[in-house]
Amino acid sequence: MLEIKNLKASINNKDILKGFNLKILPGEVHAIMGPNGSGKSTLANILSGKEGYTISGDLKYQGSRLDEIPIDERAQKGIFLAFQYPTEIPGVNTSNFLRTSLNKVRKAQGKKELDALSFLKIVKEKSNELGMDEKMLSRQLNVGFSGGEKKKNEILQMKILDPNLIILDETDSGLDIDALKIVAEGVNSSRNSKKSFLVITHYQRLLNFIKPDFVHVLSDGRIIKSGTKDLAIELEKTGYKGIN
Amino acid sequence: MLNYKINSDEIDKIGNFTEEERNFRLKNLDYFNDIGFPNKKNEDWKFSDLKAIVSKNFSKLDIQLSKSKKQKVDFIKDFEHNYIVVVNGELTISDFKYEEKSNITLKSFTNNNYSNKKEKNPLINLNHALSNKGFFLEIKENYRFKKILVIYYLFTKDLDENILNSKNRIKIGKNSELHLLDYFVNDSKKNFFNNVHEDIILENSAILKNIYLQNSKSSGYFHKYSKNKLLTGSHYTSFIFPAGLKFNKLDLEFNLEGERSECNLQSASFLDGIDHQEIKTRINHLSPNCKSHQKVKNVLNAQSKGVYQGKIFVKDVAQKTDAYQLSKAILLSENSEFDSKPELEIYADDVKCSHGSTSGNLDKDSIYYLMTRGLNQLESKQLLINAFLNEIADTIKSNSIRNFIKTKMETQLLNGYKKH
Repeated sequence: MLEIKNLKASINNKDILKGFNLKILPGEVHAIMGPNGSGKSTLANILSGKEGYTISGDLKYQGSRLDEIPIDERAQKGIFLAFQYPTEIPGVNTSNFLRTSLNKVRKAQGKKELDALSFLKIVKEKSNELGMDEKMLSRQLNVGFSGGEKKKNEILQMKILDPNLIILDETDSGLDIDALKIVAEGVNSSRNSKKSFLVITHYQRLLNFIKPDFVHVLSDGRIIKSGTKDLAIELEKTGYKGIN
Repeated sequence: MLNYKINSDEIDKIGNFTEEERNFRLKNLDYFNDIGFPNKKNEDWKFSDLKAIVSKNFSKLDIQLSKSKKQKVDFIKDFEHNYIVVVNGELTISDFKYEEKSNITLKSFTNNNYSNKKEKNPLINLNHALSNKGFFLEIKENYRFKKILVIYYLFTKDLDENILNSKNRIKIGKNSELHLLDYFVNDSKKNFFNNVHEDIILENSAILKNIYLQNSKSSGYFHKYSKNKLLTGSHYTSFIFPAGLKFNKLDLEFNLEGERSECNLQSASFLDGIDHQEIKTRINHLSPNCKSHQKVKNVLNAQSKGVYQGKIFVKDVAQKTDAYQLSKAILLSENSEFDSKPELEIYADDVKCSHGSTSGNLDKDSIYYLMTRGLNQLESKQLLINAFLNEIADTIKSNSIRNFIKTKMETQLLNGYKKH
């Protein structure tokens, strides 16, 4: 699904990732943990195609060079980033946006575009699963949404777009325990043998609900330790300083 | 270079006037000829040097004398409406099929006010001197229009380096209500100058909702001076959606003369190419407990230029005034320009007045977010521009009219905005 070899990335002449390696197979869930400033969000940004980084190394998604694929085409090819801070976009109706987005992805994948009615059926079903108030769909995109509503809206988009590689960037931040459970359940119910997840988080807490196959510790732009979910539990006890 | 002075002979070509009217016109012509088209040395024109613009784009300006022929009208089918058709400034046909006609007076404009003075805006003097067209619409007391009235302003193909001067007056009686759509359709591909003087009177508790919309971008040079008088408890809401002209200046004056009168002015424009547009407002709060609200949004592409000069004047007796003014602009190109000049002049001490002005680029993070959801860069930008401008149209209550306007605006945007 995703193979990263010796990825180096810098922004404004500051080195962030300094030789990052990772391989994710279909169906696997990988967690990346690490302290502030270790390069977690940079990794998410580079995978989704955000501009402004100077990068080198090998990045392969389903066998193609990822760095050569424009941002929108990455989405169309099944890469999805759930943002840490979803952008508020005044004047854009949430439901219309979701439909535009879904139809862009469907069209690129050679599927039929959905009319308003069939779309509405899907979006209602998925938003109910996430315990979202339907009124949210008629509001402006992320504008005035609470932290929890924003994150749920990200997971809703994930469920609607049905991507292959899902990157969750600190999806747990700003969530209370109930919202966290709902969001985690949203992710867990999407897991299957074809989808891969990259879960980026500070805390082990989220990993109690989304059980990863592998846990990696990112520090100063490199993975310094990899293991199973027990590594996350160990980290919680010792802190990042205890790992070396 | 055109040195635009008008020979007094021209006035006799327009029509046979009484001695009084002829003198009035000649005097106004003198005022105009003294100054000519205003240039940037005139404070009110410092962002729109009309003298330079006219000199550059016109080799002559002929007064349009020929009586307008009946023109085929492409009527709006999206909603039921009454209509008036104005061709090159001249009133032609009308139909008030949804209304009680006894409550409505419509006729060609005749001026009977010959008090003349040297105006700060020389184009008003020019209009007084040369105006030969226009209409007068009066709604009697206690009558609410059942359907919207669309005024089709048509400009014909044969216009070429002409100048049109017209005067329109609308008077809405006590407790009456009118919804109006000023709809501009320009068939001329050539340059011409349209100089309009508008006079609107809202009697006590009258309501006017007015929408200004262009069918498409056009190569006209437009100037409108609009003087609006609001008496006690009257409400005026104005939506301005200009699609972009080579030159367009709307000089709007609102006099809140009666207590509790309110005016609400909202505008959304997408300017492209070498469009030059100025909205200049002067809101005079002359009585207590009046409200004024202005929101002007511009998106500027290519080498377009937008200007907003908004002045709020509060007289000493106008306590409890509530005045608000906001201008927001998005610049899509390094060669586009937006100038904003807010001004407050307040002589009362118990008032609430605020103003704000922002200009900037499209938000990069928003474009990135939309692209990660599968929209390409152009689509993302178009979505953001639409969202920015639609905020204004979204406040129009009627679904069919709102959708009509949004569709027009989005089409104009799609046609114009392909370069980014």
